[in-house]
Amino acid sequence: MSEFKLNICHIYPDLLNLYGDTGNILCMKKRLEWRGIDCEVTGMSVGDTLHAKDHDLFFIGGGQDFEQKVLLEDAEKNKRSEIKNAIEDEKVFLAICGGYQILGQYYKDYEGRQLDFMQCIDIYTIAKGDDRMIGNVLFTCDDLGGETIVGFENHAGRTYLGDEVRPIGKVLSGYGNNGEDGTEGAIYKNVYCSYSHGPMLPKNPDFCDLLLEKALERKYGKIVLEKLHDDYEREAHRVMEQRLQTK
Amino acid sequence: MACKTSRKLLRLMGRGATNLPGKIANRICPDLLRHLAKDVHVIAVTGTNGKTTTSRMIEQILKDNGYDYFCNKSGANLLNGVTAEFADNATIGGKPKHAWALVECDEAAFKKVGEYSDPEYVVVTNVFRDQLDRYGEVSATLDNIKIGIGHSKRAVVCLNADCSLTASIAEEIDNKILFYGVNTPIYKERVHEASDAPYCIHCKHEYVYDYITYGHLGKYRCEHCGYHRPDPDVFVTKVLVTDESHSEIEIDMGDGAVTKAAIHLPGGYNIYNGISAMCLAKALGLRTEQAVDCLSNFEVGFGRMEAFQLGQATTRMILIKNPAGCNQVLNFLSNLSEQSVFVILLNDNFADGRDISWIWDVDFETLTRIEDKLDAVYVSGIRAYDMATRLKYSGIDKDKLCVIEDYGKLLDTISAQDKPVYIMPTYTAMMDLRALVSKRYGYKNFWE
Repeated sequence: MSEFKLNICHIYPDLLNLYGDTGNILCMKKRLEWRGIDCEVTGMSVGDTLHAKDHDLFFIGGGQDFEQKVLLEDAEKNKRSEIKNAIEDEKVFLAICGGYQILGQYYKDYEGRQLDFMQCIDIYTIAKGDDRMIGNVLFTCDDLGGETIVGFENHAGRTYLGDEVRPIGKVLSGYGNNGEDGTEGAIYKNVYCSYSHGPMLPKNPDFCDLLLEKALERKYGKIVLEKLHDDYEREAHRVMEQRLQTK
Repeated sequence: MACKTSRKLLRLMGRGATNLPGKIANRICPDLLRHLAKDVHVIAVTGTNGKTTTSRMIEQILKDNGYDYFCNKSGANLLNGVTAEFADNATIGGKPKHAWALVECDEAAFKKVGEYSDPEYVVVTNVFRDQLDRYGEVSATLDNIKIGIGHSKRAVVCLNADCSLTASIAEEIDNKILFYGVNTPIYKERVHEASDAPYCIHCKHEYVYDYITYGHLGKYRCEHCGYHRPDPDVFVTKVLVTDESHSEIEIDMGDGAVTKAAIHLPGGYNIYNGISAMCLAKALGLRTEQAVDCLSNFEVGFGRMEAFQLGQATTRMILIKNPAGCNQVLNFLSNLSEQSVFVILLNDNFADGRDISWIWDVDFETLTRIEDKLDAVYVSGIRAYDMATRLKYSGIDKDKLCVIEDYGKLLDTISAQDKPVYIMPTYTAMMDLRALVSKRYGYKNFWE
């Protein structure tokens, strides 16, 4: 038993599990274990009632449109108010792509039909045109002093940020939030959102550690995680960064 | 003409450029295929996984039963490649040289290939998540297949009853349908994998399964709206043996008589490939023995477990391209009885899928369960370090992991192994590696 433990809540693991996003959970878990910190992952699917107090860190991945419709009804009934409480209570969240969109206000489709989402953070998403924004992406992370993040984006919706929300950083290559304003991702309190699959965390170990440190800090006070030997991770990052920079 | 000349030229140049000539021809005449396929009986095979193996099994059926046919052999399964193949098998005047064409077709390209070639027989293998960077979502894949079939009113369509996505196609087309399936579980223990279709395609309630064969395939039903696995017309009644080299099964071709058959390829997914080919045989009107005997005559093709010697090493090449397929390969590998060496090559060119995040949906954690049989894992390809990172997080012993980016050095390492080597490349990595193998060992070009 370690003196520290993080309880990770994986929201809709069987529905929002596109593009390897579950790899983010594995990444967080391993990076805690390698430092001797306990970690327990709990899946919260349709029908499960979420209690914010049981979890320190929340993850929501991307899904297909078909699957998103299944869960909206359940989210309203079994999860939304607790997720909202957890967010306001400064719990740490990572939300990717569809999970990012769903935390926001609404989604407007090609025909202008509006689908209300969970309304936990002040962002909204609009689908315009036929083209999906697909490809490798490189952007800066303000909270890591401008260090870059690499990933792969694949989305039709364009997301816009409200006043209380700031982006993760600036797009250096790719589309980002909407392909228009050069921003990528969203941060509100300790909620981090991004369009970046890949999955996002393994190739960006510093960003993973940032989330873990924030979650540990909220629970135990300031903790600086020991550095790991991230040889393959950083090389994978470097290869893609170099490719996108020279493009 | 342009098409034919270009293709001949490229083949003479000794490169596997199977799409370029069609590209040139299709630019000149966008529906060239329509004209070339007009007087040909077309059998089309599409779906996410198993297209190539199923096509090769069907080819065996055509060959053994004396059909006059041609087929697109070398994974050239997009519109341009298919067009080029038809051009190559026509006279200069555009008349077909063969009565039948067996066309393996990419599921996205099937939208157009289906329309232009107007097939009389369509086999859909399954629908899984695959290269979503290209196709968007699984539902888009399904729509492409439906549109492709929609133009061929007379086609007899063979559908996988065990795949809830594939089987749903039947409800939206008026064609004659034959379902095939496996009426029994295949594996005692399966890898942990996410279902690509856990919820009812009609009413979005969770499916209930009597059994799962692999992935989302099995005997499913929706207790809410009543959608369920249709009773197959051609099916596997029993899996007698399934081991490292083959499976023995019992097949019912729909006449109530059970016939034994062998599939000389390992893995449950090849049982599906076999039964889908048998379904096509029934659609063609062949008698049971005419069909089943072909299965046992079948040999392995391009990138599908073919075995060859590299230096002192006995190697097998197994193409990987998406989580469902790769998990099936791991299901097979985790049953190996002797110490082996694995080689994984991950590329992210267009033909591989530019998004490599799928490797995180593969249950590589399975490898930790067979670590005593795992001598080493060599990793290469354009995204070698992504693959190495994935394996590092799977928990396998890091000392067994080694990245070798240079293919020359990788081949040196492989050919020096005294244990069996299983090479798992993505598509373009396989092409590159094969080109080097051909050069070094003088093996035949792959399309021959």
